[in-house]
Amino acid sequence: MEKIKNRGKQKILIVDDSEMNREILSEILCEDYELQEAVNGVQALEILGEYGGDVDLMLLDITMPEMDGFEVLSYMNRSGLIENIPVIMISAENTTSYVERAYEMGVTDYIRRPFDVRVVRRRVVNTLMLYARQERLADMVIDLVYEREKDNNMMLNILSHIVEFRNGESGLHVLHIQRATEMLLETLVKKTDKYKLSQADITRISMASALHDIGKISIDDGILNKPGRLTPEEFEIMKGHSMAGANLLGQLPVYADDLLVKAAYEICRWHHERYDGRGYPDGLVGDEIPISAQIVALADVYDALTSERCYKKAFSHEKAVEMIRNGECGTFNPLVLECLADVADNLRAAMSTDSQSTSNDRQIRGMLGEILGKEDMGTSGRILRLMEEEREKTSFFTSRVKELQFDYNVLASRVTISQWGAKYLGLNKEVLNSDTEWKEILGEENLKALTDKLHQATPENPEIEMECLINVQGELRWHLCEARALWSKETHPQYIGAVGKLTESHRQH
Amino acid sequence: MTLEACYEKMEADYGDVKRRFQSDRLIQKFALKFLNDPSYANLCQALKDERYEDAFRESHTLKGVSQNLSFTRLYEESGKLTEALRGGANPDADALLSQVSAQYEKVCQALRQYQGELEG
Repeated sequence: MEKIKNRGKQKILIVDDSEMNREILSEILCEDYELQEAVNGVQALEILGEYGGDVDLMLLDITMPEMDGFEVLSYMNRSGLIENIPVIMISAENTTSYVERAYEMGVTDYIRRPFDVRVVRRRVVNTLMLYARQERLADMVIDLVYEREKDNNMMLNILSHIVEFRNGESGLHVLHIQRATEMLLETLVKKTDKYKLSQADITRISMASALHDIGKISIDDGILNKPGRLTPEEFEIMKGHSMAGANLLGQLPVYADDLLVKAAYEICRWHHERYDGRGYPDGLVGDEIPISAQIVALADVYDALTSERCYKKAFSHEKAVEMIRNGECGTFNPLVLECLADVADNLRAAMSTDSQSTSNDRQIRGMLGEILGKEDMGTSGRILRLMEEEREKTSFFTSRVKELQFDYNVLASRVTISQWGAKYLGLNKEVLNSDTEWKEILGEENLKALTDKLHQATPENPEIEMECLINVQGELRWHLCEARALWSKETHPQYIGAVGKLTESHRQH
Repeated sequence: MTLEACYEKMEADYGDVKRRFQSDRLIQKFALKFLNDPSYANLCQALKDERYEDAFRESHTLKGVSQNLSFTRLYEESGKLTEALRGGANPDADALLSQVSAQYEKVCQALRQYQGELEG
């Protein structure tokens, strides 16, 4: 019961335009829970925006002025909050269509009116217990899986480092291959369903990729580390490492059926095959080559090109990609080449950082999502709490800044400005509606220009700059607007808003 | 006058509200609060001003409140008015409103008597 113990009473948000309803519910629940009230959808979103993951349960009415219950649910779905905050609908509307629609939008339960004290109490308790249990379970599974994966990965890496050590490779080669394989596979599944790869498959193949050159252990040192060109005979021996690795794995008595070993076998044996059939050892053509081997082959070539070897210098990232696409380093499945093009920029960045733990976390979340049958797992309670801490820190700094800073949330149509900014603009509040109040300050044209620029920004180039004339307490003054666009961290990132600042510009116009 | 008698006087359902609220203290608290509930007044004003969406909402609220307190007759009449106003202006609205008013007066009268005896 970690969550309940550590955080005092659980927080319930009551959203209903009827004062009596709020009061009755409050009366029923105030002894056991910490309560917050909102009179309509707009207030509800404001409170959610402020307290986010801190709300443990929401009691939501449907018919309310300004923004009704369905709109609130819609926002919660778009922002993913619906995954973390259970919603119990409290409405006099009993028609089946309303009820069904509410359930479809992720509502956990529906309490009919008129209220029955015992029913309300029981439903609230049950729902909270259910969600707490679910979250605890998810956290537990993540911990368990993470520990196991970390160990597995570690053993694998140790083993492959030993192998690579003989080649004079650094351990980085293995990590690079794993990372590149993972990234290429993730891009591949976004492009096509053809290869039927689950998150578990992707993880497995990336792990197995660490063993791709295990056969080199049977190659003579003199050939393995020869600085000059290999003679045709030496080259034949070298080529033998694919089959040697496969044989090693194939002869494992105990693990022959293990999926990881099978994946490693495929990769070992066929990572030097070519799409046009002119590879070795079996001369497989096209998709006869298992996709795992195709991907690892590409990762291997890319890494070889971009690293120092005893027989060559390192090529730049751009040169490597160019050479591969020009067919100078073997032939590849055009789909796979597309994947390379897509991740090219991120590949370079990923190769230069050791982001193993975040990659693990994502993989595990992905698998968990599949197990629980949800597309997007949302963020765990722990992560939400970390976010809360970050929020506290940022809000300290923003409260003391002497600048007009703004935080634009697209989903909620809300712009939050710094305290100083509010005073500067002569406003008595810091949360503005982006479609009305903010538009008035910036001016319709400026807002459109700013929005266009933000939409054109990309994760690689997220910052924009713009001079604009804005309305400051009735006076029009020139300001420089510097802003950064923000995207969600899902598999298909969505534009979610921007942060920025407006500073008075003293340039001549 | 007991709470139960008060409810009888206004043709409301004491048994129902007792089952749901469990305690007389709770019933009394909210029943007396009803005397200060603005929905009825807002409803009348909204109809007068021909603000039909607002009138619909106020009527709906009044219906909800009546239902919560088991003011059965008031609940029924305000329910009819609510449905009539769902689509906007309605020629039956005035007639239905007078029914609502009649019940509303009955409820308030009984409650005021109850309240008076409490304080007395």
